Amino acid sequence: MMMENKVYICSTGIISPQANFGKKEDFALASEYTGSSLHCIEPDYKSILDPKLIRRMSRIIRMGAAAALECMVHSEVQQPDGIITGTAYGCVEDTVSFLTKMVENKEELLTPTAFIQSTHNTVGSQIALLLKCHQYNNTFVQRGFSFEHALMDALLLLNENEAKTILVGGIDELNETSEAILKRFGLYRTNQNNLQLLTTSGKGSMAGEGASFFLLSSESSSGNIACLDDLKMLFDPNEETDVVQWIHYCLSENNLTWEQIDLVITGRNGNQQGDLIYDKLEFSIAKKTRFAYFKHLCGEYPTASSFGMWMAVSSIRENKIPFTVTSKTQSGTIRKVLLYNHDQNGHHSLMLFSAC
Amino acid sequence: MDKLMHDLKVQIIAQLNLQDLTPEDIGDDQPLFVEGLGLDSIDALELIVLLQQQYKIKLSSAEEGPKVFRSVKTIAEYITEHKPKV
Repeated sequence: MMMENKVYICSTGIISPQANFGKKEDFALASEYTGSSLHCIEPDYKSILDPKLIRRMSRIIRMGAAAALECMVHSEVQQPDGIITGTAYGCVEDTVSFLTKMVENKEELLTPTAFIQSTHNTVGSQIALLLKCHQYNNTFVQRGFSFEHALMDALLLLNENEAKTILVGGIDELNETSEAILKRFGLYRTNQNNLQLLTTSGKGSMAGEGASFFLLSSESSSGNIACLDDLKMLFDPNEETDVVQWIHYCLSENNLTWEQIDLVITGRNGNQQGDLIYDKLEFSIAKKTRFAYFKHLCGEYPTASSFGMWMAVSSIRENKIPFTVTSKTQSGTIRKVLLYNHDQNGHHSLMLFSAC
Repeated sequence: MDKLMHDLKVQIIAQLNLQDLTPEDIGDDQPLFVEGLGLDSIDALELIVLLQQQYKIKLSSAEEGPKVFRSVKTIAEYITEHKPKV
């Protein structure tokens, strides 16, 4: 989607497997995990959320609410004109709790809380309650495009002047049950070190989770971090070369050459088959720009592109790549960043960011 | 009655996930809703299920709710009065 008006990213709030909650800088040391998954480093929620509300919130709701509030704290905006969330799996913990009780109690004597909180839009609605925001509220549940569609909705509202500020976020949680189910598909490795995930190519990746929120605005302000210039999606292409051609086309549509892109962040996750597309893209532009990766930091999950977006925005703000492990990617200014990610080879997305 | 009230407090804390409270923090006559423990209508549903699960007691009418669930003591009295005879 080409934007008629500029869209600014005012602030970010994130809870992820990295220690980046509440920090605006100093993302030097990446957290290390061994096994098949990466889990979020969570803050002490009692200092962020009302303890009376926390008791009824499952982990994903706490993560989402805390990340959203953190995002608002760092902005100059009191209340957004809308709240839009994207989540593929929704509130897994509450769903598991509700279904387990349903089986154990033979479909009788079901407690209401887990059921009420198990719907995918719970995070968005809890944020609205916390902010006392009675404006537009929507949740997108579209597998690997869940966050992208939330973002697209925000961009449309801003471009059509239906809103001036939108709080948009991507959230997904991983718990014992969901990890066990997803493992059956052969998606994850066992006994893998996350910092070596991208250098030891093989079958599968590592599972992850996270909550990343962004306050978008149609108005220029000195506090804005970056601009979101374009968002594009491609579903289920026939071949890898189609994707690479599509990416080249998107860039030319923005009147840009690869030499003008300071950094390309890709969703490389160590899974040999899925990384083929990233290999082809890198091969075609290797000498023209530099690359960074993020899935060894957050793991693989359907809304992981929201972590990628945080990384792109932070790279522009800090003029360096957060948690980077290679020295060759550290030099030069970062003013234009392209984020390309795909989920399970089916959902491909492209985001273009620039310094304000 | 004292043991029943203590058991009830433990069960209420567990069922409603009142993480920062211990049974000693809840007074026998302390109101559970609004100005007391601050419970709400969802908690009331949880308490109805608790009564059914733990004590096999069903409230005979919804109008009884506010009276029965006023405090731990009133719940204990209702249980004592309505507990199925074995």
